[in-house]
Amino acid sequence: MTQYSAKDITVLEGLDPVRKRPGMYIGGVGATGLHHLVWEIFDNCVDEAMNGHASSILLTLHKDGHSVTVTDDGRGIPVDIHPKYKKSALELIFCTLHAGGKFDASNYKTSGGLHGVGGSVVNALSSELIATVKRDGAEWQMKFRQGKPTGKLVRVGAARGTGTTVFFRPDPTVFPKTEFSGEVIRERLEIASYIHRGLKIAFVDEAHNTKISYCHKEGIVDYLRAIGTLRQAHFTHESPFSIDRENGCKLEAALQWSEATDEYVKSYVNGIPTGSGGTHEAGFRAGLVKAVRNYVETHNLVPRGVTLSAEDIREGLIAVLSIFIAEPQFQGQTKDRLNNPEIQATVDGFIRPALEQWLNTNRSSAEQIVGRIILAARAREASRAASASVTRRSATSGRLTLPGKLSDCSSNERSSTELFVVEGDSAGGSAKQGRDRNYQAILPLRGKVLNTEGTLLAKVLENKEIADLVTALGCGVGKSFELEKLRYDRIILLADADSDGHHITTLLLTFFYRHMHKLIEEGKVFIGVPPLYRIDIAKQTYWAVDDADKEKFLSKHKNGKAEITRFKGLGEMMPKVLWETTLNPSTRRLLQVGIADELQTDRIMADLMGRDPSARFRFIMERADEANELDV
Amino acid sequence: MASREKPPPAPKRKRRPRDGDGSLDLFHQESRAQNVALHEVAQSRYLNYALSVITARALPDVRDGLKPVQRRILYTMWQQHLMADAKPRKCAKVVGDVMGNFHPHGDAAIYDALVRIAQPFSLRVPLVQGSGNFGSLDGDPAAAMRYTECRLSEISGTLLTELSQDTVHYRPNYDGTRTEPVVLPARFPQLLVNGTTGIAVGMATSIPPHNLEEVCTASIRLLDALVAGKELSSRELCRTIRGPDFPTGGQIVSTAEELKLIYETGQGTLRIRSTWNVESESRTQKTIIVTSIPYNVNKSTLIERIADVVTSRQMPLLLDVRDISTDDVRIELSLKKDADEQKVMAYLFRHTPLQSTFSVNMTCLVPTENPEIGRPERLDLQAMLWHFLHFRLDVVTRRLEHELSQLRGRMHILEGFVAVFDALDAILAIVRKSEGKQDAAAKIMARFKLDAEQTDAILELKIYRLARLEILVIQKELAEKRKRAKEIGKLLAEEESFGIWAIVRSELEEIVVNFAKGDKRRTIIAAPEGEKEYSAEDLIVAEDNHVLLTRDGWVKRQKEIKDPATTRLREGDQVLACVAGSTRATVAFFSNFGSVYTTRLIDIPATTGYGEPIQKLFKLRDNEAIVAVYSLDPRATGHIGEREGKTPEHYAIAATTDGFALAFGLSPFLEPSTRSGRRYAKLSEGSSVIGVELVTAKGRPKLLSVTRKSRVLICAATEISYLNGPGRGVVLVKLDEEDQLVGFKVAFGPDDVLVVKTTLGGEQKVSLAKHDVSARGSKGRELIKRGQISEVVLPTPAAPQLSGPNGSEVSA
Repeated sequence: MTQYSAKDITVLEGLDPVRKRPGMYIGGVGATGLHHLVWEIFDNCVDEAMNGHASSILLTLHKDGHSVTVTDDGRGIPVDIHPKYKKSALELIFCTLHAGGKFDASNYKTSGGLHGVGGSVVNALSSELIATVKRDGAEWQMKFRQGKPTGKLVRVGAARGTGTTVFFRPDPTVFPKTEFSGEVIRERLEIASYIHRGLKIAFVDEAHNTKISYCHKEGIVDYLRAIGTLRQAHFTHESPFSIDRENGCKLEAALQWSEATDEYVKSYVNGIPTGSGGTHEAGFRAGLVKAVRNYVETHNLVPRGVTLSAEDIREGLIAVLSIFIAEPQFQGQTKDRLNNPEIQATVDGFIRPALEQWLNTNRSSAEQIVGRIILAARAREASRAASASVTRRSATSGRLTLPGKLSDCSSNERSSTELFVVEGDSAGGSAKQGRDRNYQAILPLRGKVLNTEGTLLAKVLENKEIADLVTALGCGVGKSFELEKLRYDRIILLADADSDGHHITTLLLTFFYRHMHKLIEEGKVFIGVPPLYRIDIAKQTYWAVDDADKEKFLSKHKNGKAEITRFKGLGEMMPKVLWETTLNPSTRRLLQVGIADELQTDRIMADLMGRDPSARFRFIMERADEANELDV
Repeated sequence: MASREKPPPAPKRKRRPRDGDGSLDLFHQESRAQNVALHEVAQSRYLNYALSVITARALPDVRDGLKPVQRRILYTMWQQHLMADAKPRKCAKVVGDVMGNFHPHGDAAIYDALVRIAQPFSLRVPLVQGSGNFGSLDGDPAAAMRYTECRLSEISGTLLTELSQDTVHYRPNYDGTRTEPVVLPARFPQLLVNGTTGIAVGMATSIPPHNLEEVCTASIRLLDALVAGKELSSRELCRTIRGPDFPTGGQIVSTAEELKLIYETGQGTLRIRSTWNVESESRTQKTIIVTSIPYNVNKSTLIERIADVVTSRQMPLLLDVRDISTDDVRIELSLKKDADEQKVMAYLFRHTPLQSTFSVNMTCLVPTENPEIGRPERLDLQAMLWHFLHFRLDVVTRRLEHELSQLRGRMHILEGFVAVFDALDAILAIVRKSEGKQDAAAKIMARFKLDAEQTDAILELKIYRLARLEILVIQKELAEKRKRAKEIGKLLAEEESFGIWAIVRSELEEIVVNFAKGDKRRTIIAAPEGEKEYSAEDLIVAEDNHVLLTRDGWVKRQKEIKDPATTRLREGDQVLACVAGSTRATVAFFSNFGSVYTTRLIDIPATTGYGEPIQKLFKLRDNEAIVAVYSLDPRATGHIGEREGKTPEHYAIAATTDGFALAFGLSPFLEPSTRSGRRYAKLSEGSSVIGVELVTAKGRPKLLSVTRKSRVLICAATEISYLNGPGRGVVLVKLDEEDQLVGFKVAFGPDDVLVVKTTLGGEQKVSLAKHDVSARGSKGRELIKRGQISEVVLPTPAAPQLSGPNGSEVSA
């Protein structure tokens, strides 16, 4: 290395650069690069098919596992002599970089191939390649070795039909391993058969002696169905939305909503799966959400108080997206993320009007979809939390979903634990401090909970307080109720001893009765009885539960000046006092709620809490005298 | 409470088992959990809640017209001496005292109640004078209570002054440390004057405000009738109380009869609208000033609603709305110069809260035997005033009794003075010799036959009163007191209480003189007379508009679309049709499923954007699409009316994919359809309409048709039989199997061309110039040898033309 001058500069000619730097052309010499050779030849056939000249492709993996033959029934590679280069077109294509028919839009409209380098690259990296062409009533053949012709183009004989067959064997001097994987090829072919609607693709694996052929008349819609079957999805609406547009880039998409709670989008760029998404998927998602939003807004379909997030709209979505673009740029570690910025707007621009249009013209489907989305929005917080089963104490992961306001107890046994549902944060604080943390948990609820009588479960779960309660109980709600999952042995409702406290108790009882019926049947629900009065006589303290109790006590203790304090809210009591009067199992009073008469209970709950105010009015007027604790 | 078992004994002070062993066995201890039935526990608790809300929260008392929170606010302010002449004090102070002393609920609720009774636009006679931001008609909230100040208004004095005279019942407050009045001794019917609204459980109340003078006068009339032993019905009282008088003014448009019925039954619905006048007319505009708005209407929301009318071009005569209110209401509406203001206002009254309803439900609490609890009842006007008057009678009686007992005490003491006055020297001597006050008292009592009270008063005498003249003063006072006591005794003894009634009456008159004079009625009561009745159609301003529909189903209305080819379209969309017509005219949308949807032009959304999906206007089924749009304005379509025995001058022909065609009249579609549309064709299974064309009975129009397999047939329009109802029609082209009709167009001359694209990529034209006319029902001729027809090329849309002026334009 003494001198570095002009003579040291090398110019690689012909196919040499491919052999020197294979990574530049096929992305490496590992398994991916090796299979890339197959895709190159295969994509050439697909291009032929996509442009309407071929209808079937046969790919054979030979017995040795190191060589492949790809056959199509296309027009066949031209074999006549090129006027400028004085060589046959076939030879040009396989021996010259950037030779091909895809530079001129009149021959090929879209192409997945590498723009005229595919054939030559494969040839350069193959220890053996045989190209056979059927064209104009004759069969022609030419053989190559490491990119160089080993003979002339010969006319083998007369033949019917047209088509191209390429046999090649990767060069072991380039690739460390030259064995193809039948499964990788099969999978890719199957996807290709979905993406290229109507294309017949057959795969013969001589190594495993199998033969499979694919053909999907409806293309990716079939794919969507296949995914649906695989995932055992219940589709929300009957027929999927599909779009097939071509304007600058070719886009095909199919989508359908299912009852699943996740989102499943498969996307492809030029037939290559893009597992990490990218700009095309982002555009797809954005367009989809905008389309649904527009539709919903135009027709005023969202009930008041519900806001639809993008996640709500996409919940349960199953979609397949395939685009073909000229210059894909991939990113990410596995190169499976599209990074062309302009594609996002393009895809968005295709999807949005088309989907909106489809929603408008398919009202019945659209209504089901919107219904599903609203449900998703309503149940967003509540139902997800509720449906994710909280198994008691088994794992910390379960606890993470518990509401933040819940002060759980430390006991891991369900038996003998108690959940106090307390009215208001102000009472919750003292209950938290006054409880026995071993087995008593506290859940404060703010304000009046929703009246659940005659309310749909989805609407019920929309209420934050009730959703928290459901999550804390862990036993699910409605149809998904499972007593075994109940996290506490008893649920004790603890409300202030005033009229609003009574109201909250009835509201909670209504909820349990209508949506967790079993809980009451099993006697799990209790009502805590906080005292109304505190009576101090000399050094003795006494708590009176109600007026009658107070009078009784006072009549017994006439001597001595009694100081009577009336408790208004639980928040008034010191934690210690709360413990002594209301929480301590040995001194407190509880009412266990049960159902005495199923029919009567149902009727009374409906009258009291139902939608008909006249029933309520009747009830109140008839029984006004029975009220015994009026607020002042 | 559902349980009445022996209460738990006082707990023994033992160390509580907290933080101890977690395996505490609860079950043997939990013997005190009683079983209760859900329905019972729910019932008793709900009942307690319901009755608490009814009797102590949401409903006002008929006597003073106040809800508990309002009463507590006024009582607290009275206790704090925050009278009308006092310096105002921070609201926070009032709210704090109300909450701490009487009302154990949230502070926000108390402050809101305080703010409301201070708002001159909420109460007819505000009970509190606020200082600072107390909110506005626009729904702005009041400033926080740490900023605002308040004191009682002058008239509130008349609700409270008699409190010190033992006139009403008191009950202990929530913690038994104080007492509060059950009702305030209101001197005027506050409930009717200020009204109220409240939602309780199973019932609600909504009483509109009234004019103070009218209400007092009506009370006096009823009082006179009561005293005279006559009946006076609610209906008769309506002569004095003609209707509600809202603090925000406005005009009540319910009829006198409707109002009477409301006062007779205690419930009903009133209609109130804004008052307005035409202010000025410039060369270009006319301005209307709205001077009042209906009660309980949020002004800023109202303005938004009116602005919506302006922007949506629903009432094009209305150009602009501006709110230039300060402390009064002044909303400027700009109208077109030649606009009929009656019509504009009629439109706004119908479509915005400029006219609103007020539901009356005169439910309130009436006194029961238990002085602390009221009973909810819906009252008529007469009953409401009756309760008030009897309450006044009661208050005045109690006041007199109180005064009498005070007089008697004083007289007793004065009598003591008189008895000892001549022996003052002796008393002085006794006092000087005594060992102290008690000793002196005992001696004086023994000597002069006085009781302890009198003796005490004598001992407390000031020295100057020993003067000579004082006895005269005392004697005079005693005489006066005796006279007054006699008077009161007479009043109280009177069986019919005429005298007390007279006091009640004079006090009511006093209220009228002091407060009601000069407070004129603000709400006009005038049932609309001679006002033009406008039908829905009258309110549409006749104007020529263009309607455009795209192939993808986006529809819009614009004043004029000069060139439909350049209108705003979504990518890939095309203009399907652009038609013109009066806003009052009907436009018909024909769908491929054989339904026609019609609507007034005015009801098509006006926009310069892309428009709205047609599915927003009509309930199209899945995959249903509009194939043709026609304006049924006579200037656009000509005469479409049915003619005896003949087809109408102008009618329509539809063709379907299965090669059938039918002719039908358009006049049945003139009335706007429902969202589901009407049928105009019956289709065979699987076929759909590809086009609807307008034809004329004269002029020999021809029909051009092309099939998928490139067959062309041209026949005379008259060959298609005219149907009187939806039908399938006749065969236009006889189709091969798997063939279908794809192109259909009417041609009046060789210039009317149907252009189609072929699968080979070319375009082919079908016209009278190139093809011969034959009879319908044949297979037609071949258009091209190879390939098929792929699609029909939509003609470039032209701007629609209307011949002649807008005929239905009646008034501006």
